[in-house]
Amino acid sequence: MLDANPAPLVQVEDLKMHFPIYTGLFRKHTGDVKAVDGVSFQIMAGQTLGLVGESGCGKSTVGRAMLRLYEPTAGRVVIDGEDVAKLSPEALRKKRPSMQMVFQDPQACLNPRMTLEEIVSEPLDEHTDWSRDKKLERVYELMDQVGLNRRFVNRFPHEFSGGQRQRIGIARALALKPQFIVCDEPIAALDVSIQAQVVNLLEDLQAKLGLTYLFISHDLSMVRHLAQRVAVMYLGRIAELSPSKDLYARPLHPYAEALLSAVNEPDPELAARRNRIILKGDVPSPANPPKGCNFCTRCPKVMDICRSVKPDLVEVEPGRQVACHLYGIQSATGSTGGTEAIERKQQGVNQ
Amino acid sequence: MKLRTALLGAVAVMGLSPAAFADRGTDGEVKLTFPQAVSIMNPYLSGGTKDIYASSMVLEPLAGLTPEGTLVPKLAAEIPTLENGGVSADMTSITWKLQPGLLWSDGSAVTAADAVFTWQYCTHPEGGCSQATKYEGVASVEAVDDATIKVTFDGPKANPYTAFVSALAPIIQKAQFEACIGAAAPTCTDANNMPIGTGPFMVTGFTVNDTVSMAMNPNYRDPAKPAFATAMIKGGGDAESSARAVMETGEFDYAWNTQIPPDSQAAMAAAGKGEFVVAFGTLVERIEMNTTDPSADLPEGERATAKHPHPFLSDIKVRTALSMAIDRSILVEVGYGAGGKPTCNVIPGPEGWASDNTACLTQDLEGAKALLEEAGWTDSDGDGIRDKDGKKLHILYQTTVNPIRQDFQALIKDWWTEIGVEVELKSIDPGVFFGGDAGSPDTFQKFYADVEMYANNSEMPDPESYLSQYMCSKAPTPESQWQGENINRFCDPAYDALITELGTTTDMAKRQEIAIKLNDMVTKDSMIVVPLVHRGTLSAHSNALGGVQINAWDSELWNVADWFRVK
Amino acid sequence: MLTFTLRRLLLAIPTLLVISLVIFLLVDLAPGSPLSQIPLTVPPDVRQKMIEALGADQPVMFRYVLWLRQFFWVEPMNLFDGWFGTHIVEGEQRILSWQSRSPVFSIIGERIPQTLIVIGTAYLVGILIALPIGIYSAYRQYSLFDQIGTLFAMIGFSVPTFFSGTLFIIIFSVWLGWLPTKYDTTLQVIDWASFLEQIKQMILPVMTLGLANAASISRYMRSSMLDNMGMDYVRTARAKGLSERVVVLKHVLRNSLIPVVTVIALGIPSIFGGAIITENLFGVNGIGAALIGAIQASDIPMVQTLAFIFAVLIVLFNLIADVLYGFLDPRIRYD
Repeated sequence: MLDANPAPLVQVEDLKMHFPIYTGLFRKHTGDVKAVDGVSFQIMAGQTLGLVGESGCGKSTVGRAMLRLYEPTAGRVVIDGEDVAKLSPEALRKKRPSMQMVFQDPQACLNPRMTLEEIVSEPLDEHTDWSRDKKLERVYELMDQVGLNRRFVNRFPHEFSGGQRQRIGIARALALKPQFIVCDEPIAALDVSIQAQVVNLLEDLQAKLGLTYLFISHDLSMVRHLAQRVAVMYLGRIAELSPSKDLYARPLHPYAEALLSAVNEPDPELAARRNRIILKGDVPSPANPPKGCNFCTRCPKVMDICRSVKPDLVEVEPGRQVACHLYGIQSATGSTGGTEAIERKQQGVNQ
Repeated sequence: MKLRTALLGAVAVMGLSPAAFADRGTDGEVKLTFPQAVSIMNPYLSGGTKDIYASSMVLEPLAGLTPEGTLVPKLAAEIPTLENGGVSADMTSITWKLQPGLLWSDGSAVTAADAVFTWQYCTHPEGGCSQATKYEGVASVEAVDDATIKVTFDGPKANPYTAFVSALAPIIQKAQFEACIGAAAPTCTDANNMPIGTGPFMVTGFTVNDTVSMAMNPNYRDPAKPAFATAMIKGGGDAESSARAVMETGEFDYAWNTQIPPDSQAAMAAAGKGEFVVAFGTLVERIEMNTTDPSADLPEGERATAKHPHPFLSDIKVRTALSMAIDRSILVEVGYGAGGKPTCNVIPGPEGWASDNTACLTQDLEGAKALLEEAGWTDSDGDGIRDKDGKKLHILYQTTVNPIRQDFQALIKDWWTEIGVEVELKSIDPGVFFGGDAGSPDTFQKFYADVEMYANNSEMPDPESYLSQYMCSKAPTPESQWQGENINRFCDPAYDALITELGTTTDMAKRQEIAIKLNDMVTKDSMIVVPLVHRGTLSAHSNALGGVQINAWDSELWNVADWFRVK
Repeated sequence: MLTFTLRRLLLAIPTLLVISLVIFLLVDLAPGSPLSQIPLTVPPDVRQKMIEALGADQPVMFRYVLWLRQFFWVEPMNLFDGWFGTHIVEGEQRILSWQSRSPVFSIIGERIPQTLIVIGTAYLVGILIALPIGIYSAYRQYSLFDQIGTLFAMIGFSVPTFFSGTLFIIIFSVWLGWLPTKYDTTLQVIDWASFLEQIKQMILPVMTLGLANAASISRYMRSSMLDNMGMDYVRTARAKGLSERVVVLKHVLRNSLIPVVTVIALGIPSIFGGAIITENLFGVNGIGAALIGAIQASDIPMVQTLAFIFAVLIVLFNLIADVLYGFLDPRIRYD
């Protein structure tokens, strides 16, 4: 990574989030749900990293653990030079204004007993010593930014539509002028007609305010539109991390491939030619993942080694990281196997 | 035994502390607690013992009864007798003389007119007076002069000491109750709750079913009494908590009706703060035998009537066997402890009136079995239950819901099962059992069972009216709306004749002789009534309270004027 | 909101009338006689006279209509007369208790103070104990504190008051001798000494009842807190960088209190209803003791009036709880 890109704003190293399982009469600690099990990535300032994967793969957990809404089990989360994972509660509170989150369910994430003004200005109460007028002024300013009518300032969340509520959520997140925002499926709960508006709003704000996003979604086309780079997660681990256009053009990891094959193709001709890869079986339980590669139980290209050794996320092409033995063999056992693997992969892509 | 100890103790305490007879109102407050709270202070509108006892601290009769059951003057100057001419020779009238200078607690004079009014009050047809029996047979009450009251009966009255005698029939103030006669009686709340009286205390505060607050009566006839300046009766809770408040925590000086299980009695007595005292009156827990057939197969109107004699209980041998199988001393031990003793009599006291019948006191299971064999009841099919002519010896045994009674039922069922009798137990809510509702099949009068158990007593030491319950005419029948006291439907012309004789006999010794004969006729001679336990009223008083003399014939608080603080 | 309240109040009238009739018939049909506690020595003819004097021999519908008239006309007007010195219903018969022959409403008036003081305090104490326990238990779910809180609630739920009350009496009155076992209703609080007396005699019944109340309310509080604790808006609040105290007390607690406040409001009629067992045990002699005493004595006017007043209170507090809910939760509107 010796390229000329600016220094990353967000750097996640080997992040783990294990939820303990207690069972029995005495609530003995009998295991862990490994929701996130060693995730590493970087996000450049002003850029967007897309985080995709199917439900339950741990992508939302990554977002929450990064912002210390969960206490991560292990790993580093460096945001603007500070390791968030290790901050003291008070220091963390002070850090909060620089990192914010937009939640998936705009209804549930707003306190039902608070008005719009209270919701948006509460962070200001906590982190500034502004007068009431100044705070109200800021609230209006934010409402303008996210496209909410100023008249709505004293309304309760239930009086708004879904899209409007998400705008409130965004305004609230912006209140303290953060650098980094985790967008946790911000459009999943919205009508399709509204989704584009919200996404456009997020894009505009990024351009205007120079925001850095982690955009979590299962909507691959939306991610493609928004993100410069995309990480594909499967069962608590990153399967592939590539620049957006590379990934969509030519996914390397068999899981990414399968996932992308399921994306709706607007062009009927292409759609007809497309070969959908149907994965068989269920996702294994994160409490009891397979011994080897997490994807080995469903992978159409599974090899023996996959069942015993977990592949590391390694850079196989410039800017592209994949955790798959198809590519790992090259670095592990020499060029022969590697070439073969690449050939196989290319065959796969060119099918 | 316990009673005697208590009495001796009280006498000893009185002898040892003459300082206790100090001036009026020098001993502070005396606190009493009743498990059933006082509802009303007018005994004529309530039959409840709690109300009668509480009002006895305020209202007084002309004469009361001592613990021995003898008459003692209260408002009267002396007890009228044949000898002193107070009772007319033909026994048709009695003339009482009031003590001179008697005042009500409000300062007005007590006159004969108050007594006349009291009689009118209780005999008014719309008043619903609960003590009307006390004035039964009274033709008129006249005020001969301000201090002389003449009670005339409508015939010779063997026992003329009913009207104005005992806490059940005190004198109420005419001035206060004049407007409250007849149908208006219940509406006079203030008078009913705070009657003006002549007793040692007067009511200063009354909360219904909770607390009666009293202060000494400044106009009480004995200037040195009462020793206590104030008194209060707190009601509510149960026997256990009342007993505890006297015997364990010492919060109260006296608790009435603290009948608790024998083991609790011992534990509480061990705390050393007070003692239990027992008043043995005539209350007898008994099993009554049904002489009529209660079978549900009979049509309503004929069921449990004299028309159909009981299939096996009409045989005296069966009844006797059932009585023989019972061990009464175990029953006492289990249920009452110091509060009861085994008895074979319906009239267990007072001395002189009680029969010496003790034959039933020893249990005889073998004798009972032999008697049943003799009566032809044998276990022909070997199932442990005797039968005769294809009919099983099956008994339905009912009583009220009450823990002690359920213990008794269980014990007696065991004994009866042992002699080959099949027993079915039934317990009925006391409100229903004693409620007398003609529409209910479960009243004790209807007696839709073979045997039933409850307790009853004679109101007065003289048992005439009590014994007359077993007359033929008093049997409950469908025609009488199932009202009547002869619930066994026992009918013996000889018994009725003796009752009539008792009504005209005035000689005390002769009366007692007849009463004993009557008692024996319903118990050992016929086994119609099977007495089990002679029950006393168990009360508790603190060691710091002196002068308590428990009394079964009048209010337990009959001598509250003499109570004092032991220092 | 106002129209909603008025509509509900209007609807309550026929409901309550039906309830009153049902109660009357039930109480009347219940076995037992007002004279069942009269000694057997009182002969049947005297009993009959007594029944007639009570009016208990009248047909049931006649007595019901009489009761309705007394309840809705004589008693309110009697109060009116008392206030303004008028004589509208002078001489008319008020509802009289069969047992004590006193007007039922004076008995209730005598008893309401101690019931409200003792049972009300117990309710308040219960709430004051329950809320912190419930909040902290939920905040530290499965911690040692939570486990102990759960145990406490289980004991409070499952141990009947007659047992815990007796236990307290034995410990604090019999063994230690600190506290009285019988509540003195005649005690007047006039100075410090009598105030302390009052406190002392309230401790046992308040403790007994408070424990039982605290048990259930703390469970409501805990589960409601847990429901809210996992909500997204709490995560939002944390993400805002609010302190834990603000997150829990402002965001979680305020939302969690909505159902708890409703439960508490619905429990208020039971304060007026008194606590039958506890009142009896400690001789508080409030409404609960009056009700059970009246039931045992088949005192129909008393039972009927009390039961009906409870019905009114329950209907009323249900309405209050609903209105309160709308007031506390902006999402609910009754228009």
